[in-house]
Formats: sequence, structure tokens, C-alpha cells
Amino acid sequence: MNLINTLIAGVSIGAIYSLIAFALILVWRSTRVVNFAQAGQAAFSTYVGLSIEKAAGNYWLALICAILAGVIVGAFVEVVVVRFIVKRATSAATATVAPVIAMLGLLGIFQGVMGLIWGGEYQPYPTAFSREGISIAGNQIPFSQFDLFVLLTVVVAMSISALVFQRTSLGLSMRAAAFAPEVTRLSGIRVSRIRTLGWAFAGGAGGLAGVLVAPTTFIAPNSFDLLLVFGFTAAVIGGLDSLIGGVLGGLALGIGLSVVTGYLGGSYTFMTAFVLLIVILLVRPQGILGARGARRA
Amino acid sequence: MHVVHKPSTGKRITLAIFVALLLLVASNFVDEYRIFQGAQVAAYLVGIVSIVLLTGFSGQITLGQGAFMAVGSYSAAIVVQEFGLPIWLTFFIAVIAAALFGAIIGISAGRLTGPYLAGATLAFAVGIPALANAIPILGGEQGLSFDIGYAPGKYADTVSPYKWLFWICALCAIIAVVIAVNLTSSGMGREWRAVRAHETAAALAGINPARSKVLAFTVSSGFAGLAGVSFSATVGLVSPSGFTLSLSFLLLTGAILGGISHISGALGGAFIIVIIPTIFEMWTEEASLGVATYLPGIIVSALLLLSIALAPEGPSEALHKLRHRSHRKG
Repeated sequence: MNLINTLIAGVSIGAIYSLIAFALILVWRSTRVVNFAQAGQAAFSTYVGLSIEKAAGNYWLALICAILAGVIVGAFVEVVVVRFIVKRATSAATATVAPVIAMLGLLGIFQGVMGLIWGGEYQPYPTAFSREGISIAGNQIPFSQFDLFVLLTVVVAMSISALVFQRTSLGLSMRAAAFAPEVTRLSGIRVSRIRTLGWAFAGGAGGLAGVLVAPTTFIAPNSFDLLLVFGFTAAVIGGLDSLIGGVLGGLALGIGLSVVTGYLGGSYTFMTAFVLLIVILLVRPQGILGARGARRA
Repeated sequence: MHVVHKPSTGKRITLAIFVALLLLVASNFVDEYRIFQGAQVAAYLVGIVSIVLLTGFSGQITLGQGAFMAVGSYSAAIVVQEFGLPIWLTFFIAVIAAALFGAIIGISAGRLTGPYLAGATLAFAVGIPALANAIPILGGEQGLSFDIGYAPGKYADTVSPYKWLFWICALCAIIAVVIAVNLTSSGMGREWRAVRAHETAAALAGINPARSKVLAFTVSSGFAGLAGVSFSATVGLVSPSGFTLSLSFLLLTGAILGGISHISGALGGAFIIVIIPTIFEMWTEEASLGVATYLPGIIVSALLLLSIALAPEGPSEALHKLRHRSHRKG
């Protein structure tokens, strides 16, 4: 029973890691940039949500506004910064370094702007559901209504994304633009526009993840740094090229870390994730589910 | 490369001694707070040099240099606390401990490239403060005190603590820069540049790329350890909150703004990251606290972004190219 409890406790946080991994992978597939600014984008969207919540007092309106803010910020980042950086970063010494550093600069700007607008203190984020563990047959399990809501929301969001990717022509264009941009361009699709759309999608996913995780972690300009690292680890577990791999990687990481926390204690959580990240990068850089021969750099 | 005449080691050491004497004299004419800032510049300078060595010369990006600094600082603070070793010895211990640690990390991280290496070192930077909190001997959130004390003997009365601090940090920085310049113009530095430029070609020329990368990690971490112990000396404390992700980012920013491929750029970079917040402190004395806290970060990040967008090699390199434009294409 104890083990089952620990496993259950990891599912909802794992679902949030999945969302971040999804956002990182979506961007990586189309642009070959790991979006380290995602932590800032997600926090910014969450702050927008919090402000709406405070002004209107409606959780759902705030949630939708946070996702929309994520979408807008994601598109903005791609159009204003990323496009320019990717085009310019051709010099041998900095070709691989430049996008990473640019994303860090962006993260710094985001965190500074958030500090200016909302201050640096940790602020609580409200929930629409109880965070008490649900009782089943008299036994309280470490899984609350809120956890259930998180899980269901992520499942719905992923299902919608899967439908868009697999069943619509837009999704087909996005997949095509990610794997063969030249051919896609030749067949008359505006790859740059599709790329912007991908960043917008990813931004929305980040905003959703932020609102879902903020009741647990609280919200501050840099409170999502750790979430970013876990999301990156999840993405690497799944292979940076596979969306479904990243989602499964997030769930696996959430459950795995929950087991470590439950049996060894909270101080080992991060170390486990770090060792896991390094081991996977060394042993299987294409990820557990990634295609063989996926690009390594 | 561009420079035909490289000064010899002897000339560099003479120059370094000259600079040291100049600083020694100059420190008598500046007020205490500026002297303290001078010590900060010196500490950051060493940290930036460690990044320039690893990223600029060996081509391996690091977002986690703060973590190596933390390793150096904590080792120094522990040997003082547990064994009561003299302070000067701790600087060596910090360098050795950080270098060893860098070697261990380098063996695994040296095999990673691009965004994977960035992600791994980022995780490292985020994790080390958390880890330091978890290990009881490291003093938790409060950390360990690290006090370099007063100047020895009869100078204790005449030399102020800040001046003493500045002299130590400046001496470390000067030694570090001389060693770094010598290293990079030696065979080792050429090997690193060769591996950075083209791994396979370097291997064909008889260089072992994996070994070269691990070595770069080791050397760079040693410098970072020295930076860490200088940095802790300026703070007087070794604590998890001193080695945040923002410290790693700040140093990387300094390295980029100063010019990632030249040791000489590190001084400029260190000045920029110390001066910009100071300017804002002076400007925004009447303005709200928030502006003074966050605006410098925004400006520095924006500079970083602009620098990467407009001059990926750093402003100094861009100026250099501009000057030599007549000699080559583009």
C-alpha cells in the first residue's frame, strides 16, 4: 500500500514535468534550440494568471488568460529574438553556444521584468480544488482532488495536441517543418510561420504548467528554475525529438522521484534527477524512445 | 593568430609585477567602498577567466561555473573550520578540490555537446546549492563563515580590512591571469583550440579530443575554485545562497561581454558586471527599491542578448574585426 501511495503521489507532478518537456521538445524539434527561457515564459504567464485571478476572482478565467499569455509570449520570443539569433549564429566558435546564451539572456530579462512588475517575494497561487488527500474506503491516499484535476487537464491538453498533430493539416505541416524544413518549404508551406506557431504552442503549454505547479511551488520570478531542469531531464529521458517520449519521460521522472523522496528523503530528489540526466545523456543520448541516430548536437 | 609578436613568459611576469605594484599604490588613493568593489572585480575576473578557458578555448559551454566555485569555497571553509589551517593554504586547497571535482564532472560532461552540455551544467548549477543544504557538515542555509582576517603583524593597524582583502584578491587574479595567458599560448591551449575548431581534424593531428576536453574541464574548474574562494572572502561567508544560478549567469555574461575568446577580455567583463549595478544604485537613489534591484539585471541580460545577436564573439572581437576589415573579406 505504501509503495502504491508513493507511486500515485508522483503522477500529478510527473504530468507537469511532461508539459514542460512537451514545450521544450516542440521548440527543439522545429528550431534546434533548447528554450532555457521557458522557465521565465512560464512564470510570466503564471503571474498574468495571478493578476487576473486577483482582479476578477475567477480561477478559470485566470487559467485561460495564463495560457493565452504563454501563447503570445512564445510567439513574441520567436519572432523578435530567436529568428534573429538563429540567422546570425553561424560563426564557428559560437554556433552551438550562441542560442543557449541568447536564451539565458532572455531568461534574465524575463526574471528582471517580473521582479519589477510583481516583486521578488514568493506568492501563493490559489486552486479551485481541495488539496486534501482523497479518502478511499476510510484510507486517505496522497492524491487530492487538485492532483486529479492536474492529471486530467494534462491528459486533455495532450489529447488535443495529439489530435492536432496527427489529424489536421496544420499538424502535418508542423511535423513536416520539424523534420524536413527544405522539402516543406518547397511544397509551399511557410516554415517560418509554422515555427512561430510551434513556439506559441510551447508557450501555452508552459503557461498551463505554471498555473498547475504554482499552488505547490508558489510563484516568484525564479521559482520555476528547478521545474525547467526537471522538464529538461524528462525531455532527455524521452529523447529530445519525441513528443510522446517526453510526455512519458515526465511521468516516469515524476513517479521515480516520488519513490526516491518517499524512501530516501527529500534531499536526494535532486541528486537522483541529476545522476539520471547524466547517465541517460552518456548511455543513451537519443533517449529511451528517441529514434536511433537522432541528432546529438 | 592576429598578433604576431607574443611577449615571453618573463615579460608577462614583469608586467604582472608592475601591475601588482601599481594596484598596491593605487589602493591608497581610493575610498574604502571602491576598494571593496576592486576586490569584487578581481574575484569575478578569475571566474570569467575560468569560463573563457572552458567555453572560449575548449569550446565547451558551461552554465554551471558557480557550482565549481561553490566546491572550492566549501572545501576552503571546511579545512579552516575542521583543521584550522591558515587562510593562505586554503586558496591552494580550493583550487585542488575544485580541479579534482572538475575532472570527475569533465569525464562525463566532456562527452556531451551543445544543448546537452548546457542542460547538464545548468542542472549542476541549480543542484549544488540544494545539495549543500542537504549535507549537515556544510552548515545548511546559514553556511560557514570564511574570514580572511587582518593583515599580518605590524600592518594590521595601518592596512584596513578592505585593503587587505583587495590585495589578496588582486594578487590571486594577477597570478590567475598570468597562468591562463601562458596556458592558452602553450601547446595545451593550441590543442584546445584545435579540438574546438574541428574534433576529427584535431584527432588526425594526433590530439586526443576526449582527453583534451577533460583537461580543459579540470583546469577551468581549478580557476573557478580560486574564484570561489576569492568571492567568499569578499562576502565573508560560504552559503548556498551565494552560489545561485544567477552567479553562474552573471559570470557567463561577463565572459561574453568581455569577449569569449580572449583572456584579456575578462577584465572588461568583470568591470562591466560590477559597474552596471553601481551606476544604477547611484541613479536610482530616490527611485523605488524594485528598480534598483531588478533594472541592472535586465540591462545586463539585454546587453548579453544584444551582444550575442550583433557580435557573437563579444564586443571586443567585433571591434577587432572592424579594425582589420580592410585586410580581409567581411
